[in-house]
Amino acid sequence: MSSVEDPKMSWPVRIGGLLFLGLAGAGVGYLVGGRMEVEDLRWDDALGLVIAAMLLATGAIMAGMAAVRSTTVPPGCGWLQAVVMLIAGVLMIAPIWGVHLASPDLVFVGLVVLSVVQSVANLMLWRRADEMLRRVMVETSALAFWASQMALFLYAAAERLGLTGGVSAWGMMGVLMTIYLLASTVASMRRGLH
Amino acid sequence: MNNRLKVLRAERDWSQAHLAELLGVSRQTVNALETGRYDPSLPLAFKIARIFEQPIESIFSED
Repeated sequence: MSSVEDPKMSWPVRIGGLLFLGLAGAGVGYLVGGRMEVEDLRWDDALGLVIAAMLLATGAIMAGMAAVRSTTVPPGCGWLQAVVMLIAGVLMIAPIWGVHLASPDLVFVGLVVLSVVQSVANLMLWRRADEMLRRVMVETSALAFWASQMALFLYAAAERLGLTGGVSAWGMMGVLMTIYLLASTVASMRRGLH
Repeated sequence: MNNRLKVLRAERDWSQAHLAELLGVSRQTVNALETGRYDPSLPLAFKIARIFEQPIESIFSED
C-alpha cells in the first residue's frame, strides 16, 4: 500500500454518472408519461410512482457505484443492493403501469415471481453483508416497524371514530414504503452511509 | 467508544480499503469505525487487535 488516502471518484466519472442518470430519468419519464394519463392519477398511484422513481434512481446509482468502485469485500454486496432496489422499483410501478403492457393476470404472476427473486436477493445480501450493513438492515426494519405500527394504529383509530376512511391497500403500501425509505435513510446516515 | 484505528492505520501507511480487506468488512465499515459512528462487535475488535498486534484495550477505550 502506498497511500492512506482512498481514491476519490474523478470529476469526469462523476459528470458522466450525472449525465447517465439525467438521460435515464428523462427516458423513464418519457416512457411512463407517454403511456399514462398523468393528470388523472390518484394520490396513491402518484405516491407509488414517486417511490418507484426514487427506488429505480437509487438502484441505478448503486449499480453505477458498484461498477466504478468495485470492491471484493463484502463480495457482490453493491450489486445485490442495486438489484434489490431496482426490483423494488419495478414492483412499485408494475401494478400502475403494467396493464398497459400485459393482462392483469400476467402482471400479477410477474409480480409474484419478482417478489420471490427479490426475497432471494435480500437473503443473499444478508448472508454476504458485513456486520455493520446487517446492523443497518436490522435498525431500518425496527424503525420502519415502529413507525408503520404507529401510523396504522392512528389511521385505524381515526377510521373507527368515523373521522376518516377510504384509503386503499395500495395507498397504505405507498405509505409503508415511504416510511421504510425514510427509516433506511436515517439508519444509513447514522453510520455515514450516504 | 474511542479508538486509535486511524492513527494505527496511518502508521502503517494503509488505505481504508486495504484495512477493510484484511478485516473482511467494507471500506464504509472501516470509515464508520474510525469516525466513531459504529462500535465493532467483540469478534471484529479481536480481529482488529490481532491485525495491529496490540491488545484490545490499547486500541479501544471508553468515552
